[in-house]
Amino acid sequence: MSVQVIFLLAFGLAAVWFGIVVFRTHSMVRSALALLFSQTAVGAMFLVMQAEFLGVLQIMMMATEMSIMAIFMVMFMMDPGGLGEMDMKHQRKLSLWAGIIAFGGASGLALFGDWGPIATQIPDAGEQVRLLGIELLGRSMLIFESAGLTILTAMIAATSIAVQPPHRPKETPDKSKEPYQVHNHGGAA
Amino acid sequence: MTLELVVTLIIAAAMFGTGIYGALSQTNLVMIMMGIELILAAALLNLVAFWRYLHPDAIEAQMFVLIVMTVMAVEMAVGFAVAITRFRSRGSVEMEEAQELKG
Repeated sequence: MSVQVIFLLAFGLAAVWFGIVVFRTHSMVRSALALLFSQTAVGAMFLVMQAEFLGVLQIMMMATEMSIMAIFMVMFMMDPGGLGEMDMKHQRKLSLWAGIIAFGGASGLALFGDWGPIATQIPDAGEQVRLLGIELLGRSMLIFESAGLTILTAMIAATSIAVQPPHRPKETPDKSKEPYQVHNHGGAA
Repeated sequence: MTLELVVTLIIAAAMFGTGIYGALSQTNLVMIMMGIELILAAALLNLVAFWRYLHPDAIEAQMFVLIVMTVMAVEMAVGFAVAITRFRSRGSVEMEEAQELKG
């Protein structure tokens, strides 16, 4: 067993364990932190697989994303600390079986698939970033620009959905349009 | 030997299964989003493993990883916007209380 496999196993088990902790703990803040650790372990696996740029990107992005998630948890939950041990699950059996079947199917494919020999030589970190930059601004530029445009659209959409609607004053009924209104023209004074 | 690839794929499968369980079993919108994040992380892991162990010369695979990361960011942004609107109008992000959204 190579050193790479040992590190992959260690970080992989950490990623899966923290992924399970996300749904086991009653505290929402702990859930967000567990997800952060899980995603960081995935980033560490990228580093073990010598994808340095993607590994660092994953860790930085997830650290920010999960911190925001923790803040939202505190904002939205009645019991973010989990002291009341609220139960927030439904359809447990169905979910458990769906998860087990998904795991079994994907593992079966991984174990019995004919993957052929694995590559031993890969471009070094600097060369990878150079090639990725050329790819992004060359053949895949349309996809890259579409991704940027998608993020911009999502930002505008998210802001428009979340913005506080303007406070409208209560409409007062227009009395001049009432059918049986008695008009006083000043003659009876 | 494909042990490295198989180990990575099995770990990704375990994360995928955990994510499916979480997305289906949780009643809170933010927790459902956490399940979806785990599913997308499993997809990322598969993409990087296939690039590293099968086609290291095809740098386009890393492009796919960037696209999946974009999807993760977009999902978070729109999901939180929906959560804010829901919390403002109903005072809760519990999906059990969102029965009126049923068609």
